[in-house]
Amino acid sequence: RRSEKPNWDYHAEIQAFSHRVQENFALDLLKTAFVNPCYIESEEARRRQLGLDKDAVALQLQDNSGLAERGLRFARTYLAQCFEGAYPELPAKGIEALVNFLTSQELVSYVAQNLSIQDLALCRDFPAAPDVLQRTFLAVIGALLESSGPERTGIFVRDFLIPQLIGKDLFEIWEVVNPMGLLLEELTKRNISAPEPRITRQLGVRTVLPVYFVGLYCDKKILAEGPGETLLAAEEEAARVALRKLYGYTENRRPWDYSKPKQRLAAEKAISSN
Amino acid sequence: RYVRQLQRLQLLFSPTAADARGARQFVEEAAQDFARQHPDVVLYVSPHSGPGPAPVLRAEYLNGTVREELIASKTSEEIVQLATKLANQSGLDIVRIRKPFHTDNPSVQGQWHPLTNKPSILTIQGPRPQPQ
Repeated sequence: RRSEKPNWDYHAEIQAFSHRVQENFALDLLKTAFVNPCYIESEEARRRQLGLDKDAVALQLQDNSGLAERGLRFARTYLAQCFEGAYPELPAKGIEALVNFLTSQELVSYVAQNLSIQDLALCRDFPAAPDVLQRTFLAVIGALLESSGPERTGIFVRDFLIPQLIGKDLFEIWEVVNPMGLLLEELTKRNISAPEPRITRQLGVRTVLPVYFVGLYCDKKILAEGPGETLLAAEEEAARVALRKLYGYTENRRPWDYSKPKQRLAAEKAISSN
Repeated sequence: RYVRQLQRLQLLFSPTAADARGARQFVEEAAQDFARQHPDVVLYVSPHSGPGPAPVLRAEYLNGTVREELIASKTSEEIVQLATKLANQSGLDIVRIRKPFHTDNPSVQGQWHPLTNKPSILTIQGPRPQPQ
């Protein structure tokens, strides 16, 4: 463990962490954010084994579960708001799938490892388990929420969690079993007639690797087309491409806006005053 | 936002060895300024007394790589330059980069595949019957 090797100053490391992330933290909140409940239990067990009195056994530390819960709730609501603003067509299940993916254990523990949280977190076993890292990262978000308010925490969450979506496709994150049924629902909501699938192109029909391009036409106007190995697979793929176009999650959409929100507030004030 | 990839710098030197003179001068003069200019890097100064291993500057990065640079017989300014160079690096291995360009979006309008410019079956029209 790095904290047991020579040259380790916990206070200095925590200060360096707050500077690295460019946020002002209340340091005692941050220190409680790094304390995990398994650490408290292991410390108390160790002290009891060493034979200390009961007063000395009880540690004065609070653990980070409260902060972690608050951080998780804030992160989920903020991410849901972001996605509702950016992709207004996306249904609630899609937004939920995206938010679950961004707060999943592997992703959050990967982000936490590259921010050196695994050195600062106090936990029982080494190397730290991914759920411990996830809880510590969410507790850091909760501590930031208490120290600096929801705006700066929102910018923090946006800067560190949303870039993990770059390069990912919607249906890699959101498992959709029946894209055709979902597409029919979406089209009935918009009062468009049911799509008619037609084969657009086909190659190598009688070989081992056929390629069929199936296009979906609504009122004889093209909606989307997708490739596939068999006709059914191609139809499903075309339905997925159509859903991507409808929800606005294509590959050539506008990239995410990471600009500072102060400009937006000033613009709003300017617009409202005029 | 930018997150500096250097986590901590450990300066291991001996207070008596002759080749650690630059390290000692760095510690006396420039170490505090360096630490103030880079508040997100933790600088540890650990002198080990007596003749020991050569003076070394060990850099640890966020992805876990540890890089050691010898600072024997280097002046204080050279050590400052070396420290800023390490502070601006990332922890990736220093290997030969095979190509100096990389894109995540190799094609803007869609990559060509053998079916791009072929008209679809629905638009192909067979030979028309001659109007009688």
